[in-house]
Amino acid sequence: MTVLVLRLAGPWQSWGTSSRFVRRNTDRAPSKSGVIGLLAAAQGVRRTDPLDELLQLRIGVRVEQAGRMERDFQTARPIDGSKPMPLSYRFYLADAVFLVGVEGEADLLRGLQESLRNPAFPLFLGRRSCPPVGPVSRGLRDGSAQEVIDTEPWAASAWAQNAETRPQVNLDTVIDCPPGTPGSDLVRDEPISFDPERREYGWRCVRHGRVQVTNPTRPAAAALSTRHDPFNAVEGW
Amino acid sequence: MPRTIIDVHVIQTVPPSNLNRDDTGSPKTATYGGVRRARVSSQAWKRATRDAFDGMLDRAELGVRSKRVVELVAEQITAQDHALKDRSQELAAAVLLAAGIKTTPPRKAKPGEELPGESGYLIFLSRNQIRRLAELAVDAAHVAGDDKPKIDGTEAKRRAKQQHSVDVSLFGRMVAEVTDLNVDAAVQVAHALSVHAVTTEYDYFTAVDDHKKADEEEDAGAGMIGTVEFNSSTLYRYASIDVDRLQDNLGEPDVTRRAVEAFVRAFVSSMPTGKQNTFANRTLPDAVLVLARDTQPISFVGAFEDAVTADEEGGRVASSIRRLSEHGRELHEAYDQHPVAGWSVGVGDKANPLTELGARESLATVVQAVGELVTQRCGLAS
Repeated sequence: MTVLVLRLAGPWQSWGTSSRFVRRNTDRAPSKSGVIGLLAAAQGVRRTDPLDELLQLRIGVRVEQAGRMERDFQTARPIDGSKPMPLSYRFYLADAVFLVGVEGEADLLRGLQESLRNPAFPLFLGRRSCPPVGPVSRGLRDGSAQEVIDTEPWAASAWAQNAETRPQVNLDTVIDCPPGTPGSDLVRDEPISFDPERREYGWRCVRHGRVQVTNPTRPAAAALSTRHDPFNAVEGW
Repeated sequence: MPRTIIDVHVIQTVPPSNLNRDDTGSPKTATYGGVRRARVSSQAWKRATRDAFDGMLDRAELGVRSKRVVELVAEQITAQDHALKDRSQELAAAVLLAAGIKTTPPRKAKPGEELPGESGYLIFLSRNQIRRLAELAVDAAHVAGDDKPKIDGTEAKRRAKQQHSVDVSLFGRMVAEVTDLNVDAAVQVAHALSVHAVTTEYDYFTAVDDHKKADEEEDAGAGMIGTVEFNSSTLYRYASIDVDRLQDNLGEPDVTRRAVEAFVRAFVSSMPTGKQNTFANRTLPDAVLVLARDTQPISFVGAFEDAVTADEEGGRVASSIRRLSEHGRELHEAYDQHPVAGWSVGVGDKANPLTELGARESLATVVQAVGELVTQRCGLAS
């Protein structure tokens, strides 16, 4: 099995799976339908085209930087300035960074990696006003999505890593699992079709977990001495 | 076919102002790099850009977003054949129904009063499209005589879809009823973020009641008191035009060129009008960088993830421009993503670092050069 590692970062991103009408929510981690949509856009697949092999991919997400949920208030008015239209409330994740492992066949993933460098449609993180920052693809790895999620180095922004004082961090993970796995949740996030006339999402089985990852900006715990000797600062003592 | 993407990066300072506020009246904000930034939403600047189009493009190519589509089409029907004036609303409703746009009489209609129907949702229809739908209705009426006119649904749908007006093609259109009228936007406008940390400030104001003031017996209190929130910021703004998608939406290379030119000019020089009379905050950008690419759009907002501080060399604006230039060059080198062409616009020596990415010109020259590049590359495609 091969895994394509993606790093999704940007000032704002939004991954909605359960929004209704004028309240557009976001989940706390990228949704499978959002990631598959991103990959399909990179390949040039239109919404009305069938998704085919992209549906075979397994997705695992690790939350490098959880970010904050922020709300945008949106109004709409006709260009002639007459009666205003319904107000909408859209939620975004600010300052968040996610690592996504896309598990599938090596050839397909190599093609996707190339598409991400030259996407046919411009890429965005959930909503069109959220372009990604930094290259989206981080390369191919061998193994399963779970293995990659366990071993990839911490990919949060430099300022977040510096601000973290502990030598190890616990990062949340959300990974696809077979239906019926103990401890799993069901989310309506399995894309079947993005066709505007016939949008369909199936049930996706996910398992939430935690992974411990080292913080490269802090020395290992064993090397830290808990004894403070002020005379260390004075030379020649 | 060479892919063409035009990235526009803008550094613009706004004085104390409240360009874009949320439902509580506070200026919009966002957190980035761990600090709160001022924000102007993507939709606010898209609207300001669209308003600016009015002066830049022939009105026949602009769209009107309205629910009163029956009225608009009926006016055109009457204009084309005065004899059909009495039946114009009925014909307009019929041709719109054939195009898949359902209209119903508005709720305010009193019994017996004939008000023109409205569609259930805001719809974009260009002046061109309204004219062509009206033509279809008029032709059908002439053929049918006094009988009920038969209007071909496929043709009506086609006329509502083809030759999309420029702003629909750029910003997209959503019609909830008939999905084959959906047009994917060709432009991506990011939320504008300040390059530095920002705290919102409050202006406490009082309003004097003249009559009360003139009256000897009344106290000296104000008629009204309140607060207005504001902030002042240097914004990084980013937009990207997917020229190939735009040409798909518009159909003609020449109109595509004019659309790209109008967008670049309008995006750079427009500003949302929030609280403009209170703060008189209309400014022009300190620096603009336009890059033409053939691989993917690239935002340089990462240059500002570490917020710019006030003590950086040269001041905030000079420092932002320097960071923008350095970040851009580093990205190009690190990921081998060099632009096809670049231009910069700026005021004073502060904008010099951008000349590493694009020669310094006036906005008019840049807009024209972008247009020529688009014509040249779209010409290769068709």
